[in-house]
Amino acid sequence: MTTVYRIHVDRSLCSGFGSCVDEAPGAFSLENGVAIAVATSRDASVLAAADACPMGAITVTCEELEDAA
Amino acid sequence: MKTDPTFWLLARASGLTAYAALTASVLAGIVLKSRPLRSLRQAAVVDTHRFVALLGLGAIALHGTTLLLDRTVPLRPLALVVPGLSTYRPAAVAAGVVAAELMLLVYVSFALRRRIGVANWRRLHWTTYAIFAAATVHGLAAGTDSTRPWALSIYLGAVGSVAAAAAWRSLAVPLDPQRRTTR
Repeated sequence: MTTVYRIHVDRSLCSGFGSCVDEAPGAFSLENGVAIAVATSRDASVLAAADACPMGAITVTCEELEDAA
Repeated sequence: MKTDPTFWLLARASGLTAYAALTASVLAGIVLKSRPLRSLRQAAVVDTHRFVALLGLGAIALHGTTLLLDRTVPLRPLALVVPGLSTYRPAAVAAGVVAAELMLLVYVSFALRRRIGVANWRRLHWTTYAIFAAATVHGLAAGTDSTRPWALSIYLGAVGSVAAAAAWRSLAVPLDPQRRTTR
């Protein structure tokens, strides 16, 4: 089983603190002061990014995928 | 009959505790925005910022309650929520009442940020500096310990640290987003 994290950034809430970029630079970046994220990631650091967001703008949902044989 | 000083001691201690908590929350908020130390976990700073603000609001509630229960300063309950009704140092008490009510408003606004919009939430957050200033005036002018060296050093330390942090923030902020905008 592999865990895949699906990331959603509520752009109406994002204030561009950039905490998510600090926590998970591979999944988040800031463009024009607003965070953008990759759609999915296998890196658990995206959970820390969601936790660190001062505005609570990041939602991460976990999906368990069967490993290909 | 000797008066029991418990509530009076609690009132003074909770007032200073609230002021210390407000100062700590303001400092944590500035650290959150301008991040002077990269090694600090942002999530921990966010938690500290919110928790200490809540602690401050709790201390304010205790401050008001114990002032009502004590007889040293004559206060009616309404004077704790309506600025200017206090017969004891009305202006100084009013500054404290306004500061406390605005602090509660700023705290609650986080839960309402989606409804009021982030831009308005941010504007409201700027009043924190005015809240801190009003709380300082309130403590110095209404507090009965203000002339003591230990109390003065608390106020001086708080104002000095917030002023230094705010100055640092205003100078350091432009550096960050530039670096972060590149993908």
